[in-house]
Amino acid sequence: MRQLPWLTLLVFWPLAAALAMPLLRRSREACRRFALGAALAELALAGLVVLLFAAGRPDLPVVEDAAWIPALGIRYTLACDGLSLVFVVLTAFIGVCCMLTSRHDDASRPALYHALILASLATVQGVFLATDVFLFALFWEAQLIPVFFLIGVFGHGERMRVAIKFFLFSAVGGLLMFLAVIALGIHSADLPDGPTFALFDLTRLSLPVSTGRWLFAAFVLSFAIKIPLVPVHMWLPDAHTEAPTAGSLILAGLLLKTGGYALIRFALPLFPEAAVAFAPLLTILGLLGLFYASAVALAQEDVKRLIAYSSIGHMGLAVAAVVSGSRLALGGAVVMMVSHALTSGGLFAQAGMIGERLGSRRFDVLGGIWNKAPGFGAAFLFCILAAAALPGLSGFVGEAMMVFGLFRVDGLAGGFAVAGMAATLIYLLRLARDTLFGPARSGLPFPDLDARETALLVSLVLAILWLGLFPGPVLQLVASPLDAVAGHVWPVAGTGM
Amino acid sequence: MAAVLTDLAPHLALAVGGLAALGTAWLPRAAARSLTPVVAALFALLPGLWAVWTGGEASGMTRFFAGLLSVITLAVTGLLARFADRRGFAGDALYGLVLWSALGMLLLAESTDWIMLLLGLELASLCLYALVAARTDDGLGAEAALKYFLPGAVGLAVMTFGVSLVYAASGSLDIADSLAAGGPLVAAGLALALVGLGFKLSLAPVHLWTPDVYQGAPAPVAAFLSTGSKAAVAAALLHLCAEAPPETMDVLAPALVAVAALTMAVGNLGALLQKSVKRMLAFSSIGQMGYLAMAALAVNDGGGEAALYYLAAYALMDLGAFGAVGALSGDGPDRDAIESYRGLGYVYPWRCGALCACLLSLAGLPPTAGFMGKFLVFGAALRAGYVGLAVFGILMAVVGIFYALRLVATLYMRQSVEALPVLPAPTGPAAAAVLWAVSAGVLALGLFPGPLLAAIASIVGE
Repeated sequence: MRQLPWLTLLVFWPLAAALAMPLLRRSREACRRFALGAALAELALAGLVVLLFAAGRPDLPVVEDAAWIPALGIRYTLACDGLSLVFVVLTAFIGVCCMLTSRHDDASRPALYHALILASLATVQGVFLATDVFLFALFWEAQLIPVFFLIGVFGHGERMRVAIKFFLFSAVGGLLMFLAVIALGIHSADLPDGPTFALFDLTRLSLPVSTGRWLFAAFVLSFAIKIPLVPVHMWLPDAHTEAPTAGSLILAGLLLKTGGYALIRFALPLFPEAAVAFAPLLTILGLLGLFYASAVALAQEDVKRLIAYSSIGHMGLAVAAVVSGSRLALGGAVVMMVSHALTSGGLFAQAGMIGERLGSRRFDVLGGIWNKAPGFGAAFLFCILAAAALPGLSGFVGEAMMVFGLFRVDGLAGGFAVAGMAATLIYLLRLARDTLFGPARSGLPFPDLDARETALLVSLVLAILWLGLFPGPVLQLVASPLDAVAGHVWPVAGTGM
Repeated sequence: MAAVLTDLAPHLALAVGGLAALGTAWLPRAAARSLTPVVAALFALLPGLWAVWTGGEASGMTRFFAGLLSVITLAVTGLLARFADRRGFAGDALYGLVLWSALGMLLLAESTDWIMLLLGLELASLCLYALVAARTDDGLGAEAALKYFLPGAVGLAVMTFGVSLVYAASGSLDIADSLAAGGPLVAAGLALALVGLGFKLSLAPVHLWTPDVYQGAPAPVAAFLSTGSKAAVAAALLHLCAEAPPETMDVLAPALVAVAALTMAVGNLGALLQKSVKRMLAFSSIGQMGYLAMAALAVNDGGGEAALYYLAAYALMDLGAFGAVGALSGDGPDRDAIESYRGLGYVYPWRCGALCACLLSLAGLPPTAGFMGKFLVFGAALRAGYVGLAVFGILMAVVGIFYALRLVATLYMRQSVEALPVLPAPTGPAAAAVLWAVSAGVLALGLFPGPLLAAIASIVGE
C-alpha cells in the first residue's frame, strides 16, 4: 500500500482525467459529474497520503525519485514533507470547490473548461511536490498554460488581453528564474556528484556572494510576481476580475500560494546569505503592499476587484513574515496562506454567484442581500470575518502568529503589520456593508443558495472553522520542514518559538 | 569500393532518388500523380535508415545530419503530396528538386573542405530558388524566388571571396588546416565566409530577404527552407566556429555576440509587428537563429551539443507550424492573415492543435522541445561566460512568448468563424500523418530528451 507511487498519482491523475474529458464533450452533465468525481478522487488521494504517511506512524518526507535526463543530472524527484502535504491537500480541496463553483461559466465548452481546471490542478501539485529544481521550473512555467486558456476562453470582458498580460508578467519572472536554475546547475558541476538539480544538494553549494544575490534576485522576482509583491502586482487585479469564478479560485487559492511556498522552499534555503541581506527590502515591500492594497481596495467599485486587491495585502504581510527570521512568523505565514486560500476562495465563489444572479458585480447594484438571501449573507459575512482575522476563525491564527513573530524581531515592522491589519478591516467592513446591508439597489430577485452552492460554502466554512479552532495538526505537520529552513537560513537566531 | 559505397549511400540515395522522381514522368499521368511522392519519400527515407544502421566509417556529424535531413525531407514530401497536387504544381521536377536540395544540404553539413562547402551550399540554394517559385500561377512566389536569389547570390559571392582569401593565406582548402594556419588574412576570410553563411542563416543585419521569401513560398516549401537549409547552414557555422583558432575567435567573438543579440532582437521584435502568419513565423525563425548563433559562440563549452539538439527541435516545430499553415489553407493562396485564424481552433481541432503545440514550442514553453532546447542553449551560453547575452536573450524570449500566444489566442479565444473566408482544403493522409508525427515529436523531445542527448553526446565525443 505504501509502495505505490502516490505522489506521481497526485500529479498525473488530474492530468489523465483532463485528457479524458474530450470523450464526454457531448453532454454537459457528464462532464460536470466526471470532473467532480476526478477532483474528489484527487482529494481522496491526498487524504490517503495523509493517512498513510502523516497520521499514526509519521513517515515524512515521502520521496519518489527516478533518473530522467542523466546526461544533464536532471532527475524526476517528487518529495512530500509536511509543508508540501499541507498545500497538496489544499490544492485538492480547492479543486473540488472549483468543480462546484459555477454552472454558468462552463456553458459553452464544458469539456474544455473542466479539463483546464484539472490540468491546472496537476501542474500546481507538481509545483508543490517537485524537489528537483529543473522539474520545479518546468511545472512552474507549465502551470501558466491551463490558467491562460481558462482566463482567455472562459473569462469576461477583455479576456484575451488579460490572459496575455497575466502570462507575460509571469513569464518574465519565470524565464529569469529559469536562467538562474541553469546557472545553479552549472555551479553544481563542482559538487562531487557532478551536475545536479536536487534541491538538497544545491543548498550545500557555496556560491560567491554576488552570484548568490543575483540568483536570489531572479528567483524572488519570479516568486514576487506570482505572490504578488507590490511593484509587480499589476497583472493580478485584471486577471482575478476577468477570470471565470473557478479561475479566480485557482489564481487566489493556488497560484499565489505557489509563490509563497516556493519562497520558503527554494529561495530561502538555496540562498541563505542573500535572503538575510534582502530581508529588509522584502519586508518593506510586503508591508507597503498591505497599506497600498487596502487603500486601493477601498476605492474599487467591483466586488471581485476589491477581493483581488485584498489578496495583495494579505500575501504582502505573509512575505514580510517569511523573511523576518522569526520561526513563529514563518509558521504563521503558512497558516495564513492556507487560510487566505479558503477565505478568498469563498469570497470569489460568492462574488461569482452575485455576478450570475444580478448580471453585475458593481457596488451600485448591490445592497440588501442579507434580507433577500440570508443564507448567502451569512456565508459571505463569515468569509469576510475570517479574512478580517476574527478570533476563532482561520485568519486569526496566522495573523496573530505573524504579528507576534514580527514584534519579536523588529518592533517597527510589528507595529506596521498591526496598523496594516487594521486598514484591512476598513475595506472588508465596507464590502460587508455595501453588499449585505442597506437598501436593495437592484430590482432583480436574488434567490438564496441552492444545494450545490450550499455544499460548496458549507465545506469552505467548516474548513475555515477547523483551521481557526484546531490549527494544531497543520502546525505540527509544517513544524519540522520549517525548522529545517529556519535553522539553515538563520542558524544564529535558532528556532526558538 | 564497397566501403566507399556504404559511406556515400545517403548521397547516392538522394541523387538517384531525384532522378527516379524525374523518371516517373515516363509513367501514365494518373499513375505518376500518385507514385512520384511515394518514390521520393522512399528515397528520402534511405539516408535516415543509413544513419541508424550504418556500419561504415562515416563521422557522427554526417550520420546526425543524414538522419535529420532525412526526417525533414520525408516530412516535406508528405506535406507537399496533396498540397501540391490540389494546387496544380505537383510534378516530377518538384520532388526531384526537393531531393537534390537535400543532397546539397547534406554535403554542406558534413563538408570538411571549403570547395565542398561552397558546392553543397550552391546545390541546395539553386534547387530552393526554383522550389520557392514552384507555384507558377502565384506572382508572389516568383517575386519571392527573385528576392531569395539576389541576396543569395551576393551572399555566395562574399563567401567565395572569403574562401579564396583563406586559401590564399593558408594554401589549404581543408577547413581545419586552413583555419589552424591563423593570421589576419585567414581571419578576414573567415569573417567574410561567416557573413555569407549569415545571409543563408538570416542572421541580422543580413536577414531582410527572409520574411518576403517565406511569405511568398508555398507553406510546405517554406517549411523546407526554414528547417532543412537552416540546419545545414547552421552545421557549417558550428563547424567553422569549432575549428577557428582561439586567437581568431577572440577577434570575431564580439562581432558574433553583437550579431546574435541583434538577430534575437530583430527576429522577436519584428514578429510582434506582423499581421501575416507566415511573416511572423519567418521573423520567429530569425529569432531562433539568434539563439543558435549564441550556441555557436559557446561551441567549445557544450554549445555544439546544445545547438544540435536545438536544430532537431527547431526543425520539428517549424515543420509543424508551416505544415499546419498549409493544412489550414484553402485551394487559393495560403491562409496568411492572423485575423483569418480567428476561432479556428474549435473547428479544426487537430490541425490547430498541431499548430498550437508548435507555437508553444517556438515560445519555449514546457513540456515541449523548445523548453529543453532553450535550457541547453542558454546553459551553454552561461557556461561560456556570455551572461549578458543570455539575459538579453531570455528577455527576447519573453517577447517571443507574446507573439506566439497572440496567434494561439486568436485560434482559441476569438469568435467569428462564420465570417471565415476560405475553407481549408483536404490535407490528405500523408500531411495528416506528418502533422501528427511532428507534434508527437515536439512533445516527446521535450519530455524525454535523454536518448537524443545521449546520441548527440556520442557524436560530439567522437
